[in-house]
Amino acid sequence: MRPRLGSPLAWIYLAAMFTFILLPVITLVVFSFQDGRLPVPPFKGATLDWYAKVLSDRAMMEALGNSLLVAALSAFVSLLLGFLAASGLARVLLPGSVLMRGLLIAPMTVSYLIIALGLLQMFNQIGLRPSLLATGIGHVVINLPLCFAIIYAAIGAHQRNALRAARDLGAAEWQVLLYVAAPMLAPSLAAAYFLAFTFSWDEFIIAFLLTRFDVTLPVEIWSMLRSGLSPETNAVGSLVFLVSVLIVVTLELSIFRKARK
Amino acid sequence: MPTQLFAPLGAAAALLLSTTSLQAAGELNALIWCDHADPALLAPFEEAHDVRVNVKEYEGTAAGVTILEQSRPGDWDVLVVDAVDVGRVAAAGFLAPLPEGTVDTSSYFPDLVMEDHNSVDGVTYAVTEKFGYNTLAYNKAAVDPADMESLGALWSGKYDGKIAIYDYYLPVLGLVGLQAGIDTAGLDTAALETIKEPLMALKAASRQVSDVVASQTALATGEVDILIGGGEWLTAVLNAENADLDWTIPAEGGLLWAQSIGVVAGTEREELAQEFIRYITSPDGQARLATSSCYWGMPANAAAADVLSDDEKAILRWDDQADYLARAQLYPVPDAETDAAMQDLWTEMLQN
Amino acid sequence: MSLERQEKRHGAALVAPALLWAVAFFVLPFAAMVAMSTAKMVGREIVPGPDFGNYIRIFTEPPLTRAIFVSLEITAIVTILSVLLAWPLAWIIATRVPAKWQRLALLLAVLPFWTSYVVRSYSWALVLGEKGIVMNTLVGLHILSEPVQIMATRTATVIGFTHFFVMLLTLTIYSNLVQLSPNYARAAEDLGASRWQVIRLVILPLTLPGVVTGAFLTFVLCIGDYITPQILGGNNELTLPQLIMLQLGRRGDYPMASALSVVLMAMVTLAYAGCARWLKMDRV
Repeated sequence: MRPRLGSPLAWIYLAAMFTFILLPVITLVVFSFQDGRLPVPPFKGATLDWYAKVLSDRAMMEALGNSLLVAALSAFVSLLLGFLAASGLARVLLPGSVLMRGLLIAPMTVSYLIIALGLLQMFNQIGLRPSLLATGIGHVVINLPLCFAIIYAAIGAHQRNALRAARDLGAAEWQVLLYVAAPMLAPSLAAAYFLAFTFSWDEFIIAFLLTRFDVTLPVEIWSMLRSGLSPETNAVGSLVFLVSVLIVVTLELSIFRKARK
Repeated sequence: MPTQLFAPLGAAAALLLSTTSLQAAGELNALIWCDHADPALLAPFEEAHDVRVNVKEYEGTAAGVTILEQSRPGDWDVLVVDAVDVGRVAAAGFLAPLPEGTVDTSSYFPDLVMEDHNSVDGVTYAVTEKFGYNTLAYNKAAVDPADMESLGALWSGKYDGKIAIYDYYLPVLGLVGLQAGIDTAGLDTAALETIKEPLMALKAASRQVSDVVASQTALATGEVDILIGGGEWLTAVLNAENADLDWTIPAEGGLLWAQSIGVVAGTEREELAQEFIRYITSPDGQARLATSSCYWGMPANAAAADVLSDDEKAILRWDDQADYLARAQLYPVPDAETDAAMQDLWTEMLQN
Repeated sequence: MSLERQEKRHGAALVAPALLWAVAFFVLPFAAMVAMSTAKMVGREIVPGPDFGNYIRIFTEPPLTRAIFVSLEITAIVTILSVLLAWPLAWIIATRVPAKWQRLALLLAVLPFWTSYVVRSYSWALVLGEKGIVMNTLVGLHILSEPVQIMATRTATVIGFTHFFVMLLTLTIYSNLVQLSPNYARAAEDLGASRWQVIRLVILPLTLPGVVTGAFLTFVLCIGDYITPQILGGNNELTLPQLIMLQLGRRGDYPMASALSVVLMAMVTLAYAGCARWLKMDRV
């Protein structure tokens, strides 16, 4: 099908959908500048006060740090485990490999709430306190399937042969993984890490149930929401949005563009 | 490529190191209602004692007890809890006795010392720190204040769709009970049967059942005009934004909420915890608590009058307290069975 | 063959850490939860079972049973609505937008993904409120004579959900559409099919895998979500996750929360079984 411009219905639909999709974000950002306590129309004039307030909010900044930490580390563990498992399952036909793949993928089809509740009870029993560590473990559970699936799908016949060749030439297992497999799969590894990072960064319910004082950003935003209406929530949301979009655009322009060439 | 990929990791590790090195000499872990999370309240104490106060918010004694049950001794140092529930929390072994003379209550509002509730068998476990009312909050630009003199107005049909219910079962069931002529102390499982029908009718007339902030939003933006269960704690924060928001205690009465603060049994920082309680009940701490960011409320210690500004006292309606106290009843204090029945009824109301 | 054996040993060693993780932190907790669901709350004590009282209560007490239906209804509406809205959007982007603008259009179409999930629901609350931008505009343009209530209703929950899942589905359907060879359509057109027939009889069936994958993800994420109904629904009805959080947060009733979670899990598993033949979960 050649692109056919000029069908007005399609363009109206496109415009309507973009309005629907972008409306809440635009409203969010606009009212983060609201010079008043209520982030609803009428717009009373612009101020940067709420941003100043967010940036000087100790709890919020700590939560931001915690979120970065949990996201960076849990995404790394997910990536590492997923990468190893994918390389293992892709190279030989192990007995029960269908079952293994199923088990590795299974958490993807389970609601986060259920994973959180299960972990909460188990951690209670073994005496692991709610903490960032507990949250991180939970985030690896949800992100491991994702990393595994992405990397596993990226290992095709070509990659398999290259890995076998490296092994036949006498490279040790870790050398094959580090110097052959990892560079060869770099774009998928990057995509997997990035997705896992994002999912952990934005995850609420596991972090909510498995933390106590050291909360992550979504949990802090939630308790802020529950403790008073203010454009400060808009300001936090806008900041998170801005930073994420910057990261996405940077990635889009660097890694993923390179990968497509 | 891998080195680029793992760059965030290095940054994260550096961040971890930096946050741990910044930590203060000591810590104090407090299980609280959200008004105690205000940095402006905690900062003076943290600076004076070079400690870090970690707070975890909860709403409703049942939720708080759940958290305590899942914790181990030493996890918590300080607990803020509804004054009427101090007895059952202490009986469950979660509170440490408060040595005589820890807090001087001589300048307290006499009604708020609540020695009966703060002690068990002559042993004191907590002190009262803040109080207020769960009654009717409303927008006087949209509601006839005369109507608000009776709880019955909510069932009259005149305000259908303009009512919000505060999502906390104890005060609201208490208020529905008052409307049905049942004292809060008499709210047993049989009485719950009686108020079931008016409760469901109230739900039908309501637009939403909401937590603190959703209630504030709805009132402030005119989506609802009346909040049952509301009071000064809800409207005071919004006073600057919408001066039409008002509250009253209707003829049937209202509910008095009072918070107490005590030391959690098993703490390893008993001295510091007591010091924190002394700070919270001091005139300065009381003034900061009264006007804290999550919700306002009257200080239990009348000596806070010297620290609060006249405007703040006007918003808190300092001078009317004697009259209000005379007309308000305490929260219901259900046993485990009644509490379960109340929560079941509440769930049914939400789902109806 | 010792070489093959060695290969297998190495392969197994590589898979082992991930499998151990899945067993320790996914299978075991789930088993613990199932066991907990057969315990019983007496006063504030948890008495171990087996006792199926919780399940009996879930299916006999109307407030609890109704949560299952509320969740299913909302999820069904959201899933269908999202597919209906997302398909044309993905199709327009894939076929009408010039190639060099497609990535930009797609990026714009999923832009709100990058706001915080909690904040996204909250911003819908601002938009849909009586004083919000939507009511302001509709009343201002005299389309409505006075604001109607959307906030704190099921409609608000559905809008909040649909917003998120339209983005998700647009992605899965778009990636499916661009993989299709244009030859299919051309062949059909050459055979005299009208444009509508091409879409209905050729393109639509070929995008089924993308649609089903996206719809299944929508189902799983939607039925298990607590935030959106909690912020937008006004507590006028309770979904299953809301009910679970209520048991957990207010009553500490772990047995009941676990039993409700097992029911939730069963519903997701049924949905999975229903879509399994189109789903290729390990090749997303």
